Order: sequence, then structure tokens, then C-alpha cells
Amino acid sequence: MEMFAEQLINGLTIGSFYALVAIGYTMVYGVMKLINFAHGDLFTLGSYLGYTILVIGAGWATATFGVWGGVIVAVIGAMIGIGFAGLLLEKVAYAPVYKAGRLPLVVSALGASIFISNAIMAIWGPRYQAYPQASIPTGSLVLFGDVRITYVRLVTILVSLGLMALMYYIIEKTTFGSAVRASALDKDTATLMGIDFKKIIRFVFFVGPSLGALAGVFAGLNYSRIIFNLGQTYGLKAFTASILGGIGNIPGAMIGGLLLGLMEALFEGYVSGAWKNVFVFVILIVILIIRPTGLISEKIAEKV
Amino acid sequence: MSNFTRTITDRINKFQGARATIFKNKRQRRILLIVLIGLMLVFPFLPFVSNYWLDVGFFVGIYVLLGLSLNIVLGEVGLFNLGQAGFYAIGAYTTGILYTQLNIPIVLLLPISAIVAGAVAYLTVSPIIHLKGDYLCIVTIGIGEIIRITANNNPFGLTNGPNGITGIGNPDFGLFSIRTSTQFFYYVWIIIALVIVALINLQKSRIGRAWNYIREDEIAAESNGIDVRHYKLLAFLIGTALAGVAGNIYGSKMMIISPDNFTFMESCLIFAIVLLGGLGSIPGNVLGAAIIVIFPEIFREFASYRMLFFGAALVVMMVFRPGGILPRRRSQAGFSGLGIANLPTDENQYIENIVAQGSVAQRTGAPSQAVHPESVPSGEKRRVLETQQVTINFGGLIAVNKFDLNVREGEITALIGPNGAGKTTLFNGITGIYPPTKGRIIFMDEDITALKPHKIIAKGIARTFQNIRLFPSLTCIENVMSSPHYHATAGPWESIVHTSRQRKEEHLILETAVYRLHQIGLWEYRNELAKNLPYGKQKLLEIARALASSPKLLILDEPSSGLNDKESEALIEFLLKLKTEGFPLLLIEHDMNVVMGTSDRITVMDMGSKIAEDVPSRIYNDPKVIEAYLGKEE
Repeated sequence: MEMFAEQLINGLTIGSFYALVAIGYTMVYGVMKLINFAHGDLFTLGSYLGYTILVIGAGWATATFGVWGGVIVAVIGAMIGIGFAGLLLEKVAYAPVYKAGRLPLVVSALGASIFISNAIMAIWGPRYQAYPQASIPTGSLVLFGDVRITYVRLVTILVSLGLMALMYYIIEKTTFGSAVRASALDKDTATLMGIDFKKIIRFVFFVGPSLGALAGVFAGLNYSRIIFNLGQTYGLKAFTASILGGIGNIPGAMIGGLLLGLMEALFEGYVSGAWKNVFVFVILIVILIIRPTGLISEKIAEKV
Repeated sequence: MSNFTRTITDRINKFQGARATIFKNKRQRRILLIVLIGLMLVFPFLPFVSNYWLDVGFFVGIYVLLGLSLNIVLGEVGLFNLGQAGFYAIGAYTTGILYTQLNIPIVLLLPISAIVAGAVAYLTVSPIIHLKGDYLCIVTIGIGEIIRITANNNPFGLTNGPNGITGIGNPDFGLFSIRTSTQFFYYVWIIIALVIVALINLQKSRIGRAWNYIREDEIAAESNGIDVRHYKLLAFLIGTALAGVAGNIYGSKMMIISPDNFTFMESCLIFAIVLLGGLGSIPGNVLGAAIIVIFPEIFREFASYRMLFFGAALVVMMVFRPGGILPRRRSQAGFSGLGIANLPTDENQYIENIVAQGSVAQRTGAPSQAVHPESVPSGEKRRVLETQQVTINFGGLIAVNKFDLNVREGEITALIGPNGAGKTTLFNGITGIYPPTKGRIIFMDEDITALKPHKIIAKGIARTFQNIRLFPSLTCIENVMSSPHYHATAGPWESIVHTSRQRKEEHLILETAVYRLHQIGLWEYRNELAKNLPYGKQKLLEIARALASSPKLLILDEPSSGLNDKESEALIEFLLKLKTEGFPLLLIEHDMNVVMGTSDRITVMDMGSKIAEDVPSRIYNDPKVIEAYLGKEE
């Protein structure tokens, strides 16, 4: 029971990261039909930016407001910074290629991914960096018996779920959200209906990466060690999660991410750590055999 | 002068003008090729070439093989595969394990690695081959990762985990064994030369064309007799087998392999090679591989910055040349680009011969015997097609409701009805795209209910689509060559070596296509890409494609929509001409001039149900039909 509870907490934590990153994949896919391979690297960049802020910039915040003050500054700083990095990425690597079709876009995304991860390596070095111990909040909450949850983890899960709820509200319940969904379904018609597609693109490329950056900083706080190619694993898993939920579908990405994290943690706890990724991909394949367009998506028959 | 009777001569004039440039291009290309081959031959003896650069040349070769292997799946068929490194790993590990455990010679392991990699791909991909684009893509990533992690976890002590397998031997041909950098350089490039010859032959055969049809439009390909599932799997099988070959060669050169050689990033690089060079372009592939390998080597002195430059270069390349560096250009190559041997050099003579001989169907006496419609009263004519109580549901919506449709021998039957009545859905039911929920479809006394589209056309029903579904980036002649595909039988081996039987089949396919293309009046556009034709001509091209399957029944979905008056008059003329050839026709049509001008019998559909079936004159005055179209008079 304790083991189960612990794996549940682990699964929810990592699942939150997957879900937050998956939202970025799925939003970009929705409006541009592009697998944004650089998204995982923006997540890493966010993690490093948070690290740098904590190391050199957040001293005054920590001194004035305590450890959590520093964390908040780092998170917000990383989110804003990476949001703008996302906008820049779109401007430089995607906007000029957009008209050429989907495949060149994918290669451009691969190029951007290689560029960003190598830039991180050039700036922060090829070795692991550790989040400064002094900046990581300590302490934990006793849930029941011996089961504890660290405050960092608790906050990670709560903030992630809160942001997901907010995203859900924006996308599903507001006028702007319906404009985003309309653009995802049919860009041309949406544009004819007066939707400013460029604005949608800007929204998607700002919000997606900043959610990724949030996940990046929290990943650093939770596991403390970060490396330049961290985003490859997280990116691949998050992309898997968004496919699992039905790509282009934002609630699907959230559920897919959480589900993936939980499955992974439980498999790791009860069966084997080394084979967990094999397990994840086998589950993905099995689900796609049964539901070829993901868990949460309507079956759309191609019009002939 | 109508479209269909334009004289042959002015077409020929146009053709000769075009050929002059082709010839020049071809000659230049041949010279370039000879120079390049010569350069490769003397490369190891050039003064500045050290072992280091020979090894770079070797690795370019490995990536050429990998690029070619992915090009079959990604370039020719258009399937996203980001797991190619996994199959490359299978080839390498098959070689490593069998050599170190059983001491099987490396040269023998070359074909074995190919077979194992192909077999693994076939088994893993066949349950998921129906997935669409990105879903298939993530699954291939998953398969690639599963293979790499499995190798990393050292199952049964076979793969030696993260350290990998060491002590793999060199290829040994009896007395002669391959050890030095120079030898490996020649070894890999000789294999590449063989592979390229085979792939070019494959590309220029019914199999290569079938792959391209699938890439261009899956549904149109399936409806024109291409077994989509089969050809997708075949592409995966051949492509991954080739990756297995690359794995074997890589292992025998490095003598050590480890899971780190086969990461997801490796798959991404292979993907980038294909896109950099240009989809489906073999020379582009070679160039793409050269760039991917040599570029980071040139910037070696910048050590850790070289991949940074490389990433930026990929982006820049896609911004300025999104189609790749050497894209495959079909229209310029003309008929010689089809790769069919022994075509007469004079296309003028060729078309005249074919027109004089009549259609291939007429020569072989194949499908329908000429009928004399007027001599037999309509009710007694044989029913070619019969739908019995066919119902098609979409969820709760009943699109077609217990519909009986009859098409009689030698007649033109029109299916009319208001928009949204379910006419096209019924067509899709007949041609196997949406299998009927209930009811039976009988064609020539045979039950064809719910057969797949490629089987339906083989039974003799060819169709066109309401919204044109051509193969846009292929030439007109290639478009029309799709539907005779199922008449031929040459498999991959015959297509690779171009056996005489295969060549005969190719000639027949081309002749059928040429005849129909000429008949419909598009001969002068034969080497033009389908997407460049104006709308009306695209519609005609689709009819020519359907006709080229030598069908026993032709189904046309709104053939006249979007045509101007003159064009639809020509269409009427053409349809009536087809009727005298003995084709029964079924058409959906809104243009009443076309309906009244051609059809012998009209069936009216409204809200999925049949409301009338009769000869045109009586349908014209039927109150129920008028009500369906105009509403009830109050």
C-alpha cells in the first residue's frame, strides 16, 4: 500500500511534466500540423534558465521572501523567457518554411532541436548541473502512516493540475479558445471567419513553451540534476502522451500525460525500471491498434 | 475542332520541341555521372586523401545506404518512419551476435541481417500499417526505442548491454578479405552501386509507381487497383532489409557496436538525409548523406560547436530549398523517365500504331462484347450491377436506405437527386470505400458486397470521384498508368531485374494508358504534372484513368461539374461514344442537359431512398421527382 501510494505520487509528478510538455506539442500540432521536435529542447532550456536565475538572479527574492520566493521568481522568469524563445523559434525556423508543406517543417524542427540542445551544451557545458540545494524548498507532509509527500512534489502536482484546469477553461470555454480550436480544425475557414491566425500562432508558441519551461524548472527542483539533452526523453514521452490522448486535442494531452506517468511509475515500482520505456511504447502501440486516433478523439471519416 | 479530334501533327510538333531539351539534359547528366564514378574510383589514390578521409567516404556510404533504405518508405510511399535506426541496429546486432556466438562468416551474415531486419519490420509493422501519418510516425519511434532499449538491457546475455558487442570480424571472401580503409571504401560503394541500380529499376516499374500512387492519394490508389496495405508493407520490408545491410557493413568495419550507435537522433539524421536530398530522389539521397556526414567533419576544429552549426544549417536549408537539393523531376524526363525498355524513339509513330490497333481491350477481346442496345427491350437486358436493399449508416444517420439500383447491359444509367441525398455514399458503398451496413451488391452475377476497393476494380468496376482525386505530382501518363496496374503480375524480383515478361507487361500498361489518354484528348499533356492541368482537363484525366482499367462498368461521379457548356457538350459526345464501345455507365449528374442527353434510364434518390426509376421522358414529369427537387406545391 505504501509502495503503491509512493508510486502514485511519483507517477503523478512525472505525469504532470509529461502533460505540461504534451500541451505544447498538441497545441502546435493542432494549428500547424507540425511535430515540434524543438519543444522538448525548449523544456530543457527552461530548466536551465530557472537554474541560472536561482544561482545568480534570485538571491534578493530568496532573501526577502524565503526559498519559495526564489522559486516563484525562477518559475515566472523561465516561463516568460521561454515563451519569447518559442516566439523566436516560430519566427526563425517555422514561419519561412510554413508554405513549403509539412515535411520540410519537420526537418526544420529537427534542425532547431539539434541547434537548441547544442547551444545549451555550449553555454552550460556538457555535464550535469545541480540545482543549488539552498534554493530547493525542503520539508514534507505526512499523508498517512509512513507515506509522505515533499512540499516540492505537492506544489508541482497542484500547480500543474491548476494550470491544466486553466488551459482547459481557456481552450474549451472562452471565445478565444474556440478560435484556437477552430484554427486547428480548419485554418482557412477560420481565417475567413475573421480569426487572426497569426495571433493564434503567437498564443500557441508562447503558452506551449512557457508551460514546458514551468515543467522544466519543477523537474529541476524535484530531481535536482539536469543535463543538456534532458528534453529528448521528456519530449519523446510527452509527444507519446499527446498521441495517446489524440493529437491536436488539449484535454487529451493532459490525460495522456498523467496516464503515461502513472503507468510508467507503477511498472517501474512493481516490475522493472530498465524495461519501463519498452512497456510505455508497447502500451502505446496496443492502444493505437485498438483506437487508431488516440484515446480521446472522435472518429473522423475522410470525405471521399 | 473538338478536343477529341485535334490533329496529331500539332501535338508532334510540340513534342519534338520538348525532346531537344531532354536530350541535352540527359547527355549532360550522363557525362556528370561518368565523371563522378571516375572520381570515386580514383578517390583513394588522390594525393591529399588520407585514411581519415577514406573513412569519411565509408561513412558517407553507410548513410547513403540508410538514406536509400528510408527513402523507399518515406520518399516513395510517404510514410513517416522515425525508427529506421532500430532496424539498422537489428542488422548490426544480428551480425554481431551470430558472428561472435556461432562464428558464421560476415559475408554470409549480410543477407541474413537483411532478412532478419525485414522480418522484424514486417511482424511489428503489419498490425499498425493502417495508422495515419503521425500516429504511424510515433509507433515507428516507439519500435526504434524498444529495439534500442532491448539491446541495452542485455536479454539472455546476448547483446552485452550498454557496452555492446566487440570483436566482430571483417568480411572475408575466401582468399580475399576486406580490412583496410581503402578496401572498405570500395566495398561499401560497390554495394551502393548495386543497390542503386536495383532501386532505380524498382522505381521505374509498376511497384515503384504503386508506391508513388499511395503517397499521392491513398484512396485514389486503392480505388485504382493498388493493394495499399500490401505495397506499404512491401516498402517497409525492402527498406528495413536495406537498413539491415547497412548494419552488417557498419558492424564489420567498426568491429564494435553498442546501443548508443542507434539512438532516436540517428533516425532523425536519416530522416533529414531523405528530406535534404529531395523525396524519392536517389541522387539527392547520395548528396544528402554526403552533407550530413561531411559537414560536421569540416567543422571538426570547432569541436562542440559543430552540431550547433549543423542544426542551424538544416533550418537554413529548409528555408531556402524546402523541396530538397536535387528533387526528382518527372515532367522533364518524358516517356524515357518511365524506364520502359525498347520504346520507339519516335513517339509520333508510337501513338499512330496504338490508335490504329485500337484499345488493348479490343485487341485482346477482353471485357464487354459490343452490344446493340436498341435491339433488346430494356427490361429484358441483363443486369450488370444490382444493389439489393443496400443500407449505409454513419452512426445514427441513415445515408442510404434499402436502395435498389440497377444498371443494365449497354445502357447509361443516371442516378440523380438533390444534394445530400446519398448518391455519392451509394457509389462509395458499391466501390468498397464504405462497406454497406446491410444489403448486397451483385455485379455480373457475383456478390461483391464489402470487397476492398482494389478488388472491386479488378472485378471490372472503375470510378471517378466527385472531388477530383488524381495523383497531383505525377505526370498525366503516369496517372493513367495506375489503373492497368492490377492486370500485371510482376513482383519485386521481376521488377528489379526487368525480366522480359515484366517488360511485356509494362509495354501493355503504357499502351493502354496512351490509348486512353489520346482518346480523351489529353495526349499533348502526357508529360505534364496532373496538378498543372486546368480543372476541366483534370476531370477528363480522371475518366481516362478509369477507362484504362478496361472496366466492364464505369461509374462517374458528377463528370460535368465545373465544366463549361462547350466542355460538357464534348463530354456528352464522348460518353455516347463510350456507350457504343459497349461500356455500361452509371453516373451521378446534376446537369440536366447531360442527364437527358445521355441516359437511357434514370433512378432518383432522395433522403437515401429511391423515389423513382424510369426512362428520362417519364422521370421528367414525375410529380414525386419534381417535389423532391422543388418542394411540394401548397
